[in-house]
Amino acid sequence: MKLLRILPLLVLAAVFATVARAADKELNLYAWSEYIPQSVLDDFTKETGIKVNYETFASGEEMLAKLLAGGSRYDLIQPPDYIAEALIKNKLLIALDYKKLPNFKNLLPEFTKMPHDPEQKFTIPYMAGTVGIVVNTEKIKEPVTGYKDLFQKKYKDRIVVLDDGRELVVAALYTLGIGLNDITPANLEKARPVLADWFKLIKLFDSDSPKTALLNGDVDLGLVWGGEGAILWNEDKKFQYILPSEGAHLFVDILAIPKGARNQVAAHKFLDYILRPEVSAAISEEFPYTNPNGEARKLLKPEQLANPASYPKIVKKLDTFRHIGESSTLIDELVTDLKNAK
Amino acid sequence: MQALPSTSANSPHARRPRVWGWVLLAPMIAWLVLFVILPMVILFVYSFCTRDDLGRVVFEFTFDNYRRVGDPIYLTILGRSIAYAALTTVLCIALGYPVAWFIARQREAVRNTLLLLVMIPFWTSFLIRTYAWITILKGEGLLNGLLLAVGFIPEPLTLLYTPFAVIIGLVYAYLPFMILPIYGSAEKLDNALVEAAHDLGAGPVRAFSEVIVPLTWPGIAAGVLLVFVPAIGMFAITDLMGGARVPMIGNIIQNQFSKAFNWPFGAALGVVFTFMFILAYALIQRRGARDPHS
Amino acid sequence: MIEIQAVTKRFGDYTAVNDINLHIKAGEFITLLGPSGCGKTTLLRMLSGFETPDEGLIRIGGEDVTHLAPYRRNVNQVFQSYALFPHMTVRENIGFGLRMQKVAAAEAAKRIEEVVALVALQGFEDRKPSQLSGGQRQRVALARAIVPRPSVLLLDEPLSALDAKLRGQMQIELKRLQKHLGMTFVFVTHDQEEALTMSDRIAVFNKGRLEQLGTATEIYHQPRTAFVADFIGEANLLPAEFVARTDTTVRVRIEGGLELNVSPAQWPAGLQRALVSVRPEKVHVSKKPVDCENVFEARVEEELFQGALDRLLLQFTGGTRLNAVVANESALLEAIHEGDRVWCGLHTDDLVVVRTE
Repeated sequence: MKLLRILPLLVLAAVFATVARAADKELNLYAWSEYIPQSVLDDFTKETGIKVNYETFASGEEMLAKLLAGGSRYDLIQPPDYIAEALIKNKLLIALDYKKLPNFKNLLPEFTKMPHDPEQKFTIPYMAGTVGIVVNTEKIKEPVTGYKDLFQKKYKDRIVVLDDGRELVVAALYTLGIGLNDITPANLEKARPVLADWFKLIKLFDSDSPKTALLNGDVDLGLVWGGEGAILWNEDKKFQYILPSEGAHLFVDILAIPKGARNQVAAHKFLDYILRPEVSAAISEEFPYTNPNGEARKLLKPEQLANPASYPKIVKKLDTFRHIGESSTLIDELVTDLKNAK
Repeated sequence: MQALPSTSANSPHARRPRVWGWVLLAPMIAWLVLFVILPMVILFVYSFCTRDDLGRVVFEFTFDNYRRVGDPIYLTILGRSIAYAALTTVLCIALGYPVAWFIARQREAVRNTLLLLVMIPFWTSFLIRTYAWITILKGEGLLNGLLLAVGFIPEPLTLLYTPFAVIIGLVYAYLPFMILPIYGSAEKLDNALVEAAHDLGAGPVRAFSEVIVPLTWPGIAAGVLLVFVPAIGMFAITDLMGGARVPMIGNIIQNQFSKAFNWPFGAALGVVFTFMFILAYALIQRRGARDPHS
Repeated sequence: MIEIQAVTKRFGDYTAVNDINLHIKAGEFITLLGPSGCGKTTLLRMLSGFETPDEGLIRIGGEDVTHLAPYRRNVNQVFQSYALFPHMTVRENIGFGLRMQKVAAAEAAKRIEEVVALVALQGFEDRKPSQLSGGQRQRVALARAIVPRPSVLLLDEPLSALDAKLRGQMQIELKRLQKHLGMTFVFVTHDQEEALTMSDRIAVFNKGRLEQLGTATEIYHQPRTAFVADFIGEANLLPAEFVARTDTTVRVRIEGGLELNVSPAQWPAGLQRALVSVRPEKVHVSKKPVDCENVFEARVEEELFQGALDRLLLQFTGGTRLNAVVANESALLEAIHEGDRVWCGLHTDDLVVVRTE
């Protein structure tokens, strides 16, 4: 009986002990799925003895919702740029201590002081990418240089696009010469007929793996993430990646330390580790996005750098998304309405 | 004998079973409160709230979310979702009933094997099975390959990313949920009743409609509930096999939580959806109540 | 009415019905009697159409129905389990066959009313089968089967689920109903008493074969096989050997050396061995000498008092044993007890010679 009475206390003590140790030797990382190679995490643990708990999300919005809901304490998060901007605005990130980040200097200057973090106080770019057009050049012989070449009547039911309202609206705004962050009801009304025409031509909407339909031969053209385009090019050189001449979206996924992080020391250690040229190059090896680390790029093989989807020829200035807040509802309504009308 | 009920009601022993009943029910009630009622209450409260710049729910009363549910866009989407779910249900009955009936009429050993076959797909993740269908239906897929090889068609058919593919996916996903409950009531049906119907001059059709269907109605009703209601809310299949071209109410709700930063509106859609479920259930129950034996 | 010609039915290796020939007359109450597994139910199911013969031919009312679907036959069945439709009321159950025949509503209502009166179910028309007693359900099943006016009514052990007293009543009711309707009844049972009570003719089945066909009296008094003798009522079966023949009698020797006189009509010329069957109640037992063709002395081995009857086990010199049943009329005058020496008489006419199998 005595043992029974003590048992809960023992369990509690054990839990506290674990938590205490965890705060010391564990790093809680909340990041995109399929974005950080396991070997990179393992090497970090081997080197520092810090165990990395890698929790994943599938969209920036999902990440934000979970972060705001509290409950889980993360030491390091990996939001897209426009979500990071919202977090900074709402004072939800902790300023970085650059003394602990000697490798910061490796980053290319164009990837610092970006619009989402103009003072470069809170965020470290992890990888960047573009949204562009993929063409199966075996099937499509005519040149495709922009959105207007992509969305042609003769390509009806041969196009895959991202199932992402904002990306599609932005593409339409580019063709109208409107800035990609000018999400106003008036601009959306202008975009509506353009999108309505496009939607009639689209065979499928897929954000998770648009490359599948292209590889399967179900479609021949696509508006996809640069990373997907790079994998397609690696698979078969017939898949050409083009940045639309009207302008294109550049996305930067960043790493940042959220308010409430328990292990800021480990978070800084991890950030500096990621900024090492050889580590960053190892990530590019597995996930062919655009590497913002200048020293790492020097370590890449020529064919990696030649991949047009990873390092596209930039025809026009690239723009990044800004936080648009409740305007996202307007986009959602517009896209839902158009899909519904189709 | 008349005096007996009052004495037994006064005795402490009579009350014991009642207390014990509650004790035994407690885990179940706790489960219901925690995982069914509480989330529903939260959903209900959220559906009358607004949200802030970051998509956080703000407790400020509004009826806007419900007003938006009534928008023709969402009503057509809801209507379409119901139509797809209804078609799926009808096809599941048409395909599942004969299968369930056939299984129920077998020897026990054969029956168990066949039931196992019906349930085997559940051992594999639903998403993997859906991807398998993509492999079958895609332009250069197995089905087109087969049809081309036997010279049945001159060029590949467009099957994937069409409403047809969505219906195939839905029927495939929900068929076992129709077969199993119908099997349950078909197995209990005394074969002598079917023979009696034939004996009295009922051909196969009349015996089926007059005797077999009414007596397996509980199974059909359960199957309809298990197929129709989830099929309305299904979003993975419309995304994967329909190419996300035609939105269903499930996609809309999912979108509100994952992409559109609009939990209150998603909650309002969810509440409306739940009330529809309750309504459908009540209707089916009423039909059942008219046949007390079932 | 019904002609069954050389019908055989097999289930896998098992022959359920083996080369049966049977003619059933119109308006007849015929019983198919036999132990379970004898093929009687299979034969009935071939008449109703639920089974198809592997060989042979079945005609009903002159029409070949061998391969006709059950719902196209003018034959109805009362099922052992009654098979009442649980989702229908008594009225709907009874009216089902009429509805299938597309009988006009007014006409149907009239006929249902008549048949409900016939089976005395007035007031129960709107009940569901689950709200009826066993006997009432039985009558609903019966009414449902006769209301479409079939040319033949098939009854598959319809009384087996009823208790003994109710069964007795229903036997009489059924027989009366059959006479009243003038309908051909084919009744299946394993209960020989039931068969003897109700039937115009009885067909006794064993192992898929028809053992004997005849009236109740014929079957009882003149069993042709040891199986029939034993299955219908009780019988002492005595192995016998031919000894001598005269014009009026045949002498045979039974085990233990006793000799019996049997009727020459029973013992065909040239027959060497056979069984002699005698019913226990045909054994005359008395303390005084009895006036019979065959008289023996015996000792009462056992006595079993059964109320109206006294059951005795007799032993003769030489060891042969015989069951006897005597009326227990005058216990005071001539009480027979265990150990008593008695006279035992057997009339030649009561000795039936049956084939050995």
